[in-house]
Amino acid sequence: MNGLARVVSTHQAFDPNKVVGEVAHVSQTCLSPIATQVDTKGYYPLDVMSKLGEVGAFSAHLNRYGQRFDIALQSMHEISRSCGTTGFLTWCQDVCGLYIEQSGNPALMARLEGHAEAVTFGGTALSNPMKSLSEIERFLLKAKKVKGGYEVSGTLPWVSHIQQGQYCGAMASVEAADGSMSHEIIFLLDITPEVELKACPIFSGMEGSSTWSIRLDKYFVSEDLMIADPARPFIAKIKGAFILLQAGIATGITQASIDSMRAADVSLGHVNQFLHDRPDAIQAELDALAQKVMLLAKTPYETDPDFILSVLDARAAGAELSLKASQSALLHQGAKGYLMTSGAQRLIREAHFVAIVTPAIKHLRWEMNRLMKEEMPA
Amino acid sequence: MSEEQDWKKYLCRACGLIYDEKLGDPDSGLAPGTRFEDIPDDWECPLCGVTKEDFELLAAEPMPACQGGVQVNSLESIVVIGAGIAGWSVVDELKKADPNLPVTLISACSADLYHKPELSIALSKQKSRDQLVQESGVSKAERLGVQLLNHTFVVSIDVERRCLRTTRGEMSYRYLIIAQGAKASVPSHIPKAFAWRVNHLDSWSALQSKLQQSSQRVAILGSGMIGCELAEDLMKAGHEVTLISRDALPLCSLLPDDAAQRYLARLQGVNISFLGLQEIISVEETHSQKKKILLSSLGEIEVDHLIVATGLETDGRLASQAGIDFDQGIRVDPNTLKTSNEYIYALGDCISLNGHPCRFIEPIIKQASVIAKQITGLTKSGYAHTPPVIRLKSKVLPIELHGTPLANNDWKTLYSSDDCLVLEQYQEGELSSRLNVGVIPSAFKQVLINRGTQL
Repeated sequence: MNGLARVVSTHQAFDPNKVVGEVAHVSQTCLSPIATQVDTKGYYPLDVMSKLGEVGAFSAHLNRYGQRFDIALQSMHEISRSCGTTGFLTWCQDVCGLYIEQSGNPALMARLEGHAEAVTFGGTALSNPMKSLSEIERFLLKAKKVKGGYEVSGTLPWVSHIQQGQYCGAMASVEAADGSMSHEIIFLLDITPEVELKACPIFSGMEGSSTWSIRLDKYFVSEDLMIADPARPFIAKIKGAFILLQAGIATGITQASIDSMRAADVSLGHVNQFLHDRPDAIQAELDALAQKVMLLAKTPYETDPDFILSVLDARAAGAELSLKASQSALLHQGAKGYLMTSGAQRLIREAHFVAIVTPAIKHLRWEMNRLMKEEMPA
Repeated sequence: MSEEQDWKKYLCRACGLIYDEKLGDPDSGLAPGTRFEDIPDDWECPLCGVTKEDFELLAAEPMPACQGGVQVNSLESIVVIGAGIAGWSVVDELKKADPNLPVTLISACSADLYHKPELSIALSKQKSRDQLVQESGVSKAERLGVQLLNHTFVVSIDVERRCLRTTRGEMSYRYLIIAQGAKASVPSHIPKAFAWRVNHLDSWSALQSKLQQSSQRVAILGSGMIGCELAEDLMKAGHEVTLISRDALPLCSLLPDDAAQRYLARLQGVNISFLGLQEIISVEETHSQKKKILLSSLGEIEVDHLIVATGLETDGRLASQAGIDFDQGIRVDPNTLKTSNEYIYALGDCISLNGHPCRFIEPIIKQASVIAKQITGLTKSGYAHTPPVIRLKSKVLPIELHGTPLANNDWKTLYSSDDCLVLEQYQEGELSSRLNVGVIPSAFKQVLINRGTQL
């Protein structure tokens, strides 16, 4: 039980003001050197994740640790600045912790500290449910009520930050006896041997995100695994926080792009001056965005449509900015940036991931459009 | 110069309808080509019923053809938010001032052109959506060489970078003109899914498709001008109408009690049921999609549809998030119509002048012209707000208000008969407002003219 002993000690030593500095240090020393390996070779950096967990990278946003979303976001920013994939894994770990804590389920709460401090790992299989709730696609997992819980079947195509022995939040649509859909449940899915994990095709980057296709056949969800039944009120409550946390990946990748431009300027500044989207301009845009995000982070569980709209907008702005910044980083690097192994190439792939991962830019706009329409009688 | 170009257009100051000499008004017997001066004095605006004297010549500047085509988005573009009458008016004025000016219009709806005041009288005229649309937004944008982004929402304004974030991406602007309009407010305890609001062609059209099937029971909450006009329109269209008001009398923010009493009697005379001093406590939907409305003291009523007409409000989200001053509406300089941001103007229903919104059609064209001139720098003429003529589109009792009455001031009765009431208000000895209720007998009209009290 060495792991648990460690949990207790770090929990007591948790100092929110030190977290970001320590996270930055671990990221620069342990993550930066392996970023390309993670991105292209599929190295799943759980070893570094453990170190990040030890210094508090995945716990600051949790109520038990003081609900400091600002620190969680800044930590994610520093991690993503070194490695976008690990930034994404950080988000997975963060929101999974949020599901566990917000469930209020004692059986799950008992697992919170181990998760928050990266003794155990788990992700989130909520891409399909989030899109389903926004009426973009249909639920892929179906649940049937059985004695003592539910049986869940179906296939989810791409679920990240999982492997045997880990877990993830998942959501299923409950089928009534007459075949109609009554409501949804959200539960913690333990990846046990009965859960089939299938390898995904090769992605253009972010290969170290340990992303699998999950197949469930009558997987039993006991009450001990239940996060929320019905799921919708729960999702409404965590939606803002869920999306807002992703902004940390975008700001980190943007910052890394600015770092790359400034590094290139040392020798190429005389020609780079003719480029648009120069580092100072991108930095000003990034600072303004970060300021907005930090303001939103003060009330992460707000459910007012105006708040959700601002969160969606900030998340979209982050994705757009990281696309612009990473492209500019490549242009600043010039021919060197066109090498397959160039950091700028990785930034481009990472930024595109931010732009397409749920909620993708197009989903965000769809959802903003949906929210801004005036509701009228049907 | 061809003969055609001699035709003049006249603008109704009350409702904004344009009388085009070339087209005439065949419905009321004015053949195409009838000159304005040849129109009989008793002719009435086909839309709102005011007479000739409340029409004014509309500056006959033909719309120049665009030479620039659709412009790409750039910092040079003037961006207009909103494609109602205000948005399109300012686009018209900008293009008049400079046909090559790059203009982008962003609209949450299709941007089709229609005359909003018509919505409160269109059901009984059995109009369809297509008949109300004067021109499609796409066609007008093409004609003027305007980049149109329809079905697009503006999510936020980045005033530092002078750019808009929209549901179709980012867009820079040289100047931004906000013509976002106002939304019908719905009391927070009434579910929006149960409450129609007739403030846009699309919602009108959705309601119209429900109502055209059969005669139905409709409750209207709010007895201001819109509520009353809709009540009359629905009644004329054959529906059973209940008007619910928190006030004791209809139109009571506009009319003194004796005038409001007369109007109430006329409403009741045409079987419009008026439930005064009532609040809606709750609205529920029954299994058969009827609306069960619980009133504060009269118990429950059941209707097919509920329309809420309790007033308009400007959505302050964009302004507050952009840090633009807001006070009952987007605050603009009463002379320049500039907001508190140097590069942003606003007009129409969304603005407030000295803390007061002015949500009538008539001032909009003037506001649009002032903004266009400010931006193109042609002339620096300012805006001078004058209160529009307020005219209730009523068949049971026409009501017309000139000037700006004060709520606490006494009205002096100038004329009173069973069918007509003429009242006046004076401020510091000067005539400040006149209220005509009912049809003024022609003999008394002459008296009014002789008195020289035309406001």
